[in-house]
Amino acid sequence: MTLEQRVIKTLKDNLEKSPEISLESRLLEDLLVDSLDRMMLLSGLEDEFSITIAEEDFAEVATVSDIVRKLKARLSD
Amino acid sequence: MYLHDFYSRFTLDESLAEVTGFNPYYLSIESGLEDKLMVNGARLINLASNNYLGLAADDRVKKAAVEAVQKYGASLCGTPIATGYIDLYKRLEGKLSAFVGLEETMILPSCYQANNGLFSAIAGAQDLIIVDRYVHSSLIQGIKAAGCKIRPFLHNNLEHLEGILQRSTGYRQIFVVTESVFSTEGSVAPFQEIVQLCQKYNALPVIDDSHGIGVLGKSGRGILEEKGIEGYQGIYTASLGKAIAASGGMISGKSALIKHLKYYCPHLVYSTALIPAALAGIEAVLDIIDTEFGLLKKRLTSYQQIIYESLLEGGFSVVQAKTPINSIKSGSKENTFIITKKLFEKGILTTPFIEPAVPQGEGRVRLIAGANLSEDTIAEAAAVLKEMGRL
Repeated sequence: MTLEQRVIKTLKDNLEKSPEISLESRLLEDLLVDSLDRMMLLSGLEDEFSITIAEEDFAEVATVSDIVRKLKARLSD
Repeated sequence: MYLHDFYSRFTLDESLAEVTGFNPYYLSIESGLEDKLMVNGARLINLASNNYLGLAADDRVKKAAVEAVQKYGASLCGTPIATGYIDLYKRLEGKLSAFVGLEETMILPSCYQANNGLFSAIAGAQDLIIVDRYVHSSLIQGIKAAGCKIRPFLHNNLEHLEGILQRSTGYRQIFVVTESVFSTEGSVAPFQEIVQLCQKYNALPVIDDSHGIGVLGKSGRGILEEKGIEGYQGIYTASLGKAIAASGGMISGKSALIKHLKYYCPHLVYSTALIPAALAGIEAVLDIIDTEFGLLKKRLTSYQQIIYESLLEGGFSVVQAKTPINSIKSGSKENTFIITKKLFEKGILTTPFIEPAVPQGEGRVRLIAGANLSEDTIAEAAAVLKEMGRL
């Protein structure tokens, strides 16, 4: 599975409604992600990629592709 | 100028009320919780209060409250740790402990304060709190104040919860926090299974039973009785302002913990004690529940069913609840306000929930028919609801 696919699967597994998710999906407008959802998504990503995520590092992400970009940068450190 | 800058930050967005022509908040209530409620000069059928057993305006409860005022006055004007700990307060702590079947209890001015103060007194940076994604604001704010790692789990989803528990290692203590009855739509937590998961993974369960105490269980003792949980080792909180029909909140659990909290929970230590009228009212309600719960619950359940069927007949999309709560799925916040407004205009007071109280686009209109309402009033409400959906 590619990193993008793993991110999308993690998001689906950690949202109540399992909505259609693509890289272009906007967290707030399309996926209706609120502050608790965001906390749940970041924890899910921590588990999936065995990393620790500081909430403030992901505070600015607005789309799924933003998350992918952040993770790629993080995992290449 | 600096004052102007400061105060100009505080503006109220009233656009929703303007668009819908209705503001359901801070309505002027001009009567007590009798069969009908006076609101803005009109008599409405009250399906909005959490007065499940209908005891808030019961004559026996009023009498107990009045007698307490006559004996102790309006207030003790002190915190429980100072001059607020009257014999009535101490006796009620014991009665509440016996009622829910736990070792010891402390009584706070509200359940918001109970939930808000609990976590910073028991958890810190080395701990993890796993919390149902739909719990009440009081729990979320209290948990955030503890400064520990927080992991929400999908609503009532045991598989998701267990996955998180399996992956969570290295913490001093793990807590699992949930509510017995989720108040916007009446879903009930699978708490027996949650307690079992906590035992399996050495986590400590915390349950807020605000909408369960006085409602769930064969004698109204709440979620622990409902689920047959004996020897509960976790922490229990509840509101005393819903079925218990007064005000205040409680935290119950093991003696050692409650004794500690009575000295180290600032929300108790620095708050003026609950007033005598409320304490005596709660005591009277517990006595009534002891003798009349079966009858009151039967009426409550019957009313809930009548309202539920009327809503369905009226064409509303309604949540199938296992508690006395009926909840219309109203969708957007605009639609939620419009349904509430139409019901209001037809003489029924309900409670709207919009974000952030519920997820975006998942508005709810809640209807609770208390056991104090007359059969005629319920029939009147049912007729309106059946008709309303067709409009």
